[in-house]
Amino acid sequence: MRPQDPLLEIQNLSTFFHTEENIVRSVRNVDLTIYPGETVALVGESGCGKSVTSLSIMRLVPVPPGKFENGRILFKGKDLLKASELEMQKIRGNEIGMIFQEPMTSLNPIFTIGDQIIEAICLHQDKNKDEARKLALEVLKKVAMPSPEQRIDQYPHELSGGMKQRVMIAMSIVCQPCLLIADEPTTALDVTIQAQILDLLDDLRKETNMSILLITHNLGIVAQYADRVAVMYSGKIVEQTSVENIFASPAHPYTKGLLNSLPKDEISKQLETIPGTVPHPAFLPEGCAFHPRCAEKMDLCVQKNPELLPLKDSREQHQTACWLYSE
Amino acid sequence: MKTLLKVQSLKKYFPVYGGLLSRVIGQVKAVDDVSFEIKEGEILGLVGESGCGKTTVGRMTLRLLEPTSGKVFFEDTDILKLKGKELTMIRPKMQIIFQDPYSSLNPRFTVERIIGEAISVHGLAQGNDLQKKIETLLEKVGLSRMYLKRYAHEFSGGQRQRIGIARALALNPKYIVCDEPVSALDVSIQAQIINLLQSLQKEDNLSLMFISHDLNVVKHLSQRTAVMYLGKIVEMAPTELINRKAAHPYTQALLASKPSLDPTDRKRPKPLQGDVPSPLNPPSGCHFHPRCPKVVDRCKTEIPRQIELEEGHTVHCHLYDE
Repeated sequence: MRPQDPLLEIQNLSTFFHTEENIVRSVRNVDLTIYPGETVALVGESGCGKSVTSLSIMRLVPVPPGKFENGRILFKGKDLLKASELEMQKIRGNEIGMIFQEPMTSLNPIFTIGDQIIEAICLHQDKNKDEARKLALEVLKKVAMPSPEQRIDQYPHELSGGMKQRVMIAMSIVCQPCLLIADEPTTALDVTIQAQILDLLDDLRKETNMSILLITHNLGIVAQYADRVAVMYSGKIVEQTSVENIFASPAHPYTKGLLNSLPKDEISKQLETIPGTVPHPAFLPEGCAFHPRCAEKMDLCVQKNPELLPLKDSREQHQTACWLYSE
Repeated sequence: MKTLLKVQSLKKYFPVYGGLLSRVIGQVKAVDDVSFEIKEGEILGLVGESGCGKTTVGRMTLRLLEPTSGKVFFEDTDILKLKGKELTMIRPKMQIIFQDPYSSLNPRFTVERIIGEAISVHGLAQGNDLQKKIETLLEKVGLSRMYLKRYAHEFSGGQRQRIGIARALALNPKYIVCDEPVSALDVSIQAQIINLLQSLQKEDNLSLMFISHDLNVVKHLSQRTAVMYLGKIVEMAPTELINRKAAHPYTQALLASKPSLDPTDRKRPKPLQGDVPSPLNPPSGCHFHPRCPKVVDRCKTEIPRQIELEEGHTVHCHLYDE
């Protein structure tokens, strides 16, 4: 199914933050591959390192206190961690676009939305103001902004949350990136608006064959829009496979727990839970970080950290980091 | 079952000030003519999008906000007529759990004081008795008594929400408004809190108003569901019925836009077009008509009346009005 080379290949990436008191291990040895035209969902709870992973790709992690301890981020074969700041500026917003969680705070309140989109165009493309404005209008139409001719001269506070997120999307796709990082793009929006925005992203993906890294904690969105899924826990990817596999036969106890804890159709039965809470990334337990909450804990889990390895008897690519599946 | 809370044509209009002299230039009809009942031991789910007035309804039933007009009966007493001591007497019976466990606990108080404050204010226990009562409450919500002397910032979101629940239970209330109690929590913690609320509700036969925008959670918890849109309840029915036979086009759209958890079943129901209009300037007639896929001429001018489709299932929509 995938004749092409991967678009983005994260190899053994670790991003730590060195604070005065301790070292916060936000991302630990993450491997993630994204092929052209696919949607990969990165799933996990708050503080599990999803956002730091995406900021690492864009090299937007403040250094210091942040530090890329090891690993490579290959984008079209080129290591982004070794790129100069000037090279990164050419990639950010041009080849890799990003949509942030809160459309309310990611737009500049003192510029019109047109100015903000035009700024992105003029930075990356050889266009004059009039051409850029034309293109901005075009892209606003593409994201189905109602009455774009008037909206282009409005300020962010005059728009609703859904419209602001459309502006964010317009800004991030105007230079036709091959990779779009969408960090919780609909968490701040209402359910009826959520569907509009996600459908829009999916249509744009199909139209331009761009890849999407969809960061979310909503498993319903994952089921409906992702091709492949990576589940993160405490800075590590604990399971990675196709979306069908993850819902049909989850392997890692954490993935199973997450899926089981969702309210199902049986009304008012007790929900299954994962006991305890997510550990603080500065104080990770020894061994597998999930072991204090795991129902299937063994002695080995307390001592050694499992690696992300392919499952033995699965036809498709299915990897998990759990001692239950290794001899 | 006896009716515990009865709300009749409740309204809340917030004035909008503007102009040079800050005169009233308009009104936000946050809640516009809402009526419902909650029976003893019943959970009513209140669903709607942000800004539709769900929180305002919840707070008015506790008289934390004064309604513009309407009546709220709690155990047959009109609580809007109560004053001074009478009001203080009835307060312990109704409590609230807030959405944000981070900003709803006083950062300068220990857990002991957060939970115990209301008990001592109402003079229900003192000294050793108070201490014991707080310990029992902590155990009830699944926290260790070792936490008594700690401050709110030392806890995780889920634990804080447990403290908030213990505080609400401290005065043995009969009725609790749960205002989006799990929406700020992670998925794995949400399930813990939902289970806790469910078991506490059964244990003490509490009546709950469960405010949420998450249809799955409401479906799981509540016996009856009310759907709000722009300050009005557009449909109300037993939860099972509303999920099976939703009548109002808005309810249908809400249910359809809930993403299904089955990756092999990818349907793309046409999502609702447009945005939620501002309550400052709501559309004429039925407030939903600019977004409604089944709109007819009548919807644009006439406000739909309440129609009972079958027992306990009411809807405000011209489609069902012959």
